[in-house]
Amino acid sequence: MNFGAPWGLLALGALAPLVAAYFLRRRQKPVMVSALFLWRTPRPRAEAGPRWERFTREVSLLLEVLAVVAAALFLSDVRWGEAARRRHVVLVVDGSLSMSARGAPADSVMERVRREAAKRVDSESATHVTLLASGASPRVLAGPEVEASRALSALESFQPLGADHDVLPTLRWAQELAGPGAPVHFLTDAPPVEGFSVPATVRWTALGGPRDNVALISAQRRDEGDTATVTLRVARFGPGPSTVDLRLRAAPGPGAREGTERVEHVALPEEGATTVRLTFQGAGDVEAALPDDALPEDGHVLLPPSPVSPVAVGMAPELGAAERAALERFLAASPEVARGSMGLGVAEVDVGPRGTNAKVTVGAGGKLRTFVGPFFTEKGDALLDDVQLAGVRWTAGDNPPGRPLIAAGDAVLVSEEEGRLHLNLDVARSNVQRTTAWPVLWSNVLREARRRREGFPRHQLALGEPLPVVTNPGERYALRGPLGTKPVFGAGPLTLPAPAAPGRYVLERDGEAVDSTEVLALDARESDLRGRGSVDLAAKETRASSEAAAGSGRARWPLWLLLAALLADFYVTRRT
Amino acid sequence: MDEAEVARLGAGLALALPRGPHRGRVGEVRAASAGSSLELHDFRAYQPGDDLRQVDWNAVARTGDLILRVRQDEVSPRLEVVVDGSRSMALSASKEARAREVALLTTDVGARQGLSPALWVAGARAERVQGGACRSALRTSEFDARDDLSAALARLPPLRPCGVRVVVSDFLVEVDLGALCSRLSRGASALFLVQVLDAEDLDPSGGEGARLVDAESGAALEELLTEPVLAAYARRFAEHQRALRAAAQRARATLLTVSAADPLSALVAGPLRALFVPGGGA
Repeated sequence: MNFGAPWGLLALGALAPLVAAYFLRRRQKPVMVSALFLWRTPRPRAEAGPRWERFTREVSLLLEVLAVVAAALFLSDVRWGEAARRRHVVLVVDGSLSMSARGAPADSVMERVRREAAKRVDSESATHVTLLASGASPRVLAGPEVEASRALSALESFQPLGADHDVLPTLRWAQELAGPGAPVHFLTDAPPVEGFSVPATVRWTALGGPRDNVALISAQRRDEGDTATVTLRVARFGPGPSTVDLRLRAAPGPGAREGTERVEHVALPEEGATTVRLTFQGAGDVEAALPDDALPEDGHVLLPPSPVSPVAVGMAPELGAAERAALERFLAASPEVARGSMGLGVAEVDVGPRGTNAKVTVGAGGKLRTFVGPFFTEKGDALLDDVQLAGVRWTAGDNPPGRPLIAAGDAVLVSEEEGRLHLNLDVARSNVQRTTAWPVLWSNVLREARRRREGFPRHQLALGEPLPVVTNPGERYALRGPLGTKPVFGAGPLTLPAPAAPGRYVLERDGEAVDSTEVLALDARESDLRGRGSVDLAAKETRASSEAAAGSGRARWPLWLLLAALLADFYVTRRT
Repeated sequence: MDEAEVARLGAGLALALPRGPHRGRVGEVRAASAGSSLELHDFRAYQPGDDLRQVDWNAVARTGDLILRVRQDEVSPRLEVVVDGSRSMALSASKEARAREVALLTTDVGARQGLSPALWVAGARAERVQGGACRSALRTSEFDARDDLSAALARLPPLRPCGVRVVVSDFLVEVDLGALCSRLSRGASALFLVQVLDAEDLDPSGGEGARLVDAESGAALEELLTEPVLAAYARRFAEHQRALRAAAQRARATLLTVSAADPLSALVAGPLRALFVPGGGA
């Protein structure tokens, strides 16, 4: 049970004089009379017995108390249980990283937001609150329509670490949750940008302030062998210090005895960023940190090892010598490639002659024809990215099966069949292997193979970047992150929405970790705190309609109870 | 109850019996009907079938007509005194005493007059006594009925016909008064309704708020006894009295309203003159 207008409970004060009157009346001396009917209007109905009459005062008092309580309940706008009417308020908190900015230790923007949210709940007499956090993917922090205390408790534990985003979808969603005409309270750290159309029922409250900030705006780690290369970009927003100490600490990797710790003095330009590139030997996790400032979160990154995994390429023994030689020349110059064993299931790309089950077949059969153009290519296919066939002499045989990717006249030169690639090419009579098209085509093949590798293609992402992931068909995957675990649907190369919070994300196949990636709390637009400020923009639409709706929704049953109690009291007292 | 005063007053009083015929066993009271007593009652012309022994031959000689002597019958008529035993009759000591005194005076005078009195006390437990037991019954009977006279009459055995009935009550009942009076007068040769009222019944005192409790039912009513409330009571009381009087007339009864505040001697000399006549004889 709760009350929409607790001041109405003051009506219970009427109980005091009521009870006092009861006791005063009890003290009245009874006067015996011969004929009570002469003292009142005679009624044809027979009187009840004295047993009832003896308790008339008490019954009357109880009925009058009931009437007063019913009136107080009505005035206080009582709400009973889940079925009763509730006062619902929708709060939207900006979930972007800049909301974590702070001035004094106890005066962060988020603390102000928490205090303001509590005030709003009080001023709106809200009994139920829906709390949303804006973001690229808006999420519900509490709700829908949970008790106000639970919503405020959820806000206490909320830490905004999201990327810069458009808040309009979240506000639209909040409006739908609030209902037509009901206000939505948006708490953020900056006034709306010029040209932004704030929805009519949204009250925009900014509680931030302009501050200087030094931040890491990108971080990348690349591991080749025992060498880890860390590339950082440091930017200064505002007239802050011209130099800053960048502290790096590398934990010892496998086989290393001790870690490394460095401090780099980084000169910061007035506008723009400074790039810092460092290498570590035998390093495990590398942690980079800037001195704490207005937004400490964007000055710390943790970069786990990100080893380069080469693509294994295998060649079938039946492959022709010319084809093998041409392929060997490419592999010799191609980085991140390893020789695999054909037929053992280790090679990710196996190459065989025409007519075999290899993933890539090379060879021509049947009647050979040579083409110098024009060549028709499937431009949309990633395998043909940047493949230029100018000056190419291509000798092909009978058409291979599958979807044509490159054709010349009625001849299919390259086709794709259920993930397999057929090169209808007689290398001995062609010059393709001596043109740039050859390594580009094979690079694309390896790139696609790498893309189809299970796990995360990238192991470091900044805030707001979509999360690419590759899954195998027929397996069950889940993504475990700082906000919990959620299933991953789909097979093959997938692009998941940008993670809402930074941290480590692990791809799990049937509960077993497959790969992990690190989402870094880096977003240059969020690190720039110069445009933050405070403003309170009232909702354009007045609350009259919603308040009227609230008034009409006041529970009626106390009125009926009041009426019934008065009638019953009248009946009881007139009996005597 | 002042029995000495009753005895003193009863010595010089007689019941005002009606002119109508009485019935009863042969006794010493001259009845209105013609009979065989020695008391000459009237003369009338002879009609065939009359007893020739009653012809007044002297008158025949003087007038030449057959004149018959009509002699008065001598009977011993019944006297039934019904006392309302409801709790309202004990509203005050004076009201209770006056009711008992009037009943006792009636039975005493009736007995002295040769009537055979019977006393009915319509209390919570119906009680009927005769003769000398009436006095002791009036001493000990309780006015304890929680209902009114109309309901109490239902508990009584049937009243005997052709008697003189005297009903002592306050008649402050919320019933059909016509039906009540008709029931009381049924079979009676004469009916006296002696209404004994307390001073508070006649003129209630006002003042502060009070919790009015009905003496019989125990029902309560909280009222501020202001002038308008008292005026309303007086108006309703007057209406009630008018209705009672009209009902009594229709039932050929005599309504005698007395105030308990007055002494019995004043009542006998005043409102009760219609019931008690001086003389001490028939």
